[in-house]
Amino acid sequence: MKARYVASFALVAALVAVSTAAARTDSPTRASASKITVWLQVDAQTGWPDLVATTNAAFQKAHPGTSVDVQYQTWPDHLGKFDATLAGGNVPDVIEMGNTEMTKYMAAGAFANLSPDKSSFANSRSWLQGLAASSTFNGKLYGVPYYAGSRVVTYRTDLYRKIKAKAPKSLAQFTSIARKLRAKNGKRSFSPVYIAGTDWYFAMSFVYDYGGTIATFSRGKWHGALTSPQARAGLAAYKRFFDVASRGSKTGTEDRPQPYDVFAQGGAASIVGPAWFSCCVGKKYKTVTNQFVMPGHKAGQSMPGFLGGSDLAVPKGSSDQSLAKDWIRIFTSTAGEKTLQAKGNIPNATNLLGNSVNERAAKRSWFVPTAKNWVNVENGNVLRTMLARILTGKDSIKEATSTASDNITLTLNRP
Amino acid sequence: MASSHVPSGAALAAEAAPRLRRRRPLTWSRVLRGSVPYWLILPVLATVGAILGYPLYWLFKLSFERYGLFELIQHKGVGVGWANFGSVLHDPIFWHTLVRTVIFTVANVGLTMVIGTLLALLLVQVSSVIRVLLTTGLVLVWAMPPVVAVQVWLWMTNYENGVLNYILTKLHFGSYLQHDWYASTFSMLSLVTALIVWGAIPFVVVTVYAGLAQVPGELVEAAEIDGARPWRVFKDVTVPILKPIFLILTSLSIIWDFGVFTQPFLLIGQSRIDTSNYLMGTYLYEQGYFFHDFGRGAAISILMLLMVALLSVAYVRKMVQFDEVR
Repeated sequence: MKARYVASFALVAALVAVSTAAARTDSPTRASASKITVWLQVDAQTGWPDLVATTNAAFQKAHPGTSVDVQYQTWPDHLGKFDATLAGGNVPDVIEMGNTEMTKYMAAGAFANLSPDKSSFANSRSWLQGLAASSTFNGKLYGVPYYAGSRVVTYRTDLYRKIKAKAPKSLAQFTSIARKLRAKNGKRSFSPVYIAGTDWYFAMSFVYDYGGTIATFSRGKWHGALTSPQARAGLAAYKRFFDVASRGSKTGTEDRPQPYDVFAQGGAASIVGPAWFSCCVGKKYKTVTNQFVMPGHKAGQSMPGFLGGSDLAVPKGSSDQSLAKDWIRIFTSTAGEKTLQAKGNIPNATNLLGNSVNERAAKRSWFVPTAKNWVNVENGNVLRTMLARILTGKDSIKEATSTASDNITLTLNRP
Repeated sequence: MASSHVPSGAALAAEAAPRLRRRRPLTWSRVLRGSVPYWLILPVLATVGAILGYPLYWLFKLSFERYGLFELIQHKGVGVGWANFGSVLHDPIFWHTLVRTVIFTVANVGLTMVIGTLLALLLVQVSSVIRVLLTTGLVLVWAMPPVVAVQVWLWMTNYENGVLNYILTKLHFGSYLQHDWYASTFSMLSLVTALIVWGAIPFVVVTVYAGLAQVPGELVEAAEIDGARPWRVFKDVTVPILKPIFLILTSLSIIWDFGVFTQPFLLIGQSRIDTSNYLMGTYLYEQGYFFHDFGRGAAISILMLLMVALLSVAYVRKMVQFDEVR
């Protein structure tokens, strides 16, 4: 009888001791200054891994004993992961943010103020206007411009030569080239110009080309503007072009499959995307690949390209802000930016600009409404849904744009 | 007791009365002996309480607060009373999503139970070799993690290179080359249903099969001798005996399918999820995490909890009442 009590109490005591001991060893240790964590996007992993490697080497030389842990993120889920670290307290020391994503997080106070250190970053006096604006909030600097990119057309010179076509100067010319390419290549799944249906970065270019815009700000409120006749004309032109040129999924996204994979498998004669896509067109077609600027509907004018870009920010809870800033300093130095430029990106400063096809494309560009809640419009797939419904014919352009416009107005004005 | 003496009623009562009046002494040894079971389950209760209790407490707390990205970084919310609940209940998207989810749940649970029961009945009939093969197949399905299963389904239903499109075209069901299975809401949710039912059947089959073993063979034989058709035998002999098992399985299925998240979120994909194909699970996630309105997400979560509780209680009462009437 006594043994039963002793045994049961001993069991309870042992379990309590074990569980609390386990809890103690499992508690996360604060990242010590012997390691910094850097979150970059997979674009860096695919496009310029050598730049990352040389930056890490230079950093470790300058700070012996400190290692760099570069973790690559994907665009769809990196913000969710960042939110989790903000709640949990183990934020990365450096994070790459898309320029459309910065505003919301700056407004919420997620990043450290870099204004006192601005002059220590290379070429900070001639940073690209658009990128610098995306990393500034209420007059303070919260991010360092990393790179920008416009969109160009990467194409198969051999297929274009077969139909005796040169780089088109207008949308109409491009459409007739697409028709000839389709006639020459009968395979049903072949796309003269591979476009994913809901690639809103590309589709909205048509809206801006015809003089429309996504939203306007007046009298203290945002108003969705896709219902204007210019915007609707642009979307109609997009639908016409898509129907002729692309056999991509009407509801699919521009990252699954990656257009350069479709190109590498011989499924497309041209693809639209950042200029660095040329890295990954596959061994078979590497020698027959070239790029041109996407033409607009008016002859001689290029189509405005989405001026995408990234900034590098230091989250407030970072374990060592000065080490993080140092890493960014090395990564975005003039040498670093020149490497990025060579890969097909637009460097972050005007004094470094050259005359590559990418930089020519950036001369006529557009950007999303600079609203705090813009990233909610992206996350809510408002534009993607609108494009899918237009292309599949579920909604007329009139209905789809009305719904999307109302949705945008509602979302952008939410407190 | 070898005594042949049969005590009279009065004597028994007299014996019992003093026993009732005499209290058992409360000694330490008695208390300790009685408390041993509680000490033994205390670690389990404490662990479960910590794992479930803390998040539940936070959930209730959040639902009464405004907790956005700013508050997340500050680690401090602002109390707003019932505002979150009011805003959710006044939102037409909430009601549309609820209706869609109820229809989705009915379809899923119905298909799971019907197909599961049919397969269990099949298992009884077939030879042991086939039974082993079938059971192995079911267990392999059961063991597959949902995330892996979704990835395989995504590949199978891929627009460009999916094997589903290929097979349907080869079997002359029409031209399914480059058929987009995610083009319409109905198509998307049907695929999600197929995936969920596929994953849920093994549990139902194994449980019902075990229950079928309890159906007395003599009853079935008696019914058959009386001339009852197989359906009659099933309805009047098997179902009443299996009623408790069906009850449990259906309740569990309702709870799981009403709040399912993994399969819809991963199969439809974050870039295709929008108000026209929201289910309660994905709606809650989008509101809370993507729009950074954690208070609202918590309010939706609690409303879902209440709804599932109501559904389950209503269902259980109906089944029990039905039983009592019979």
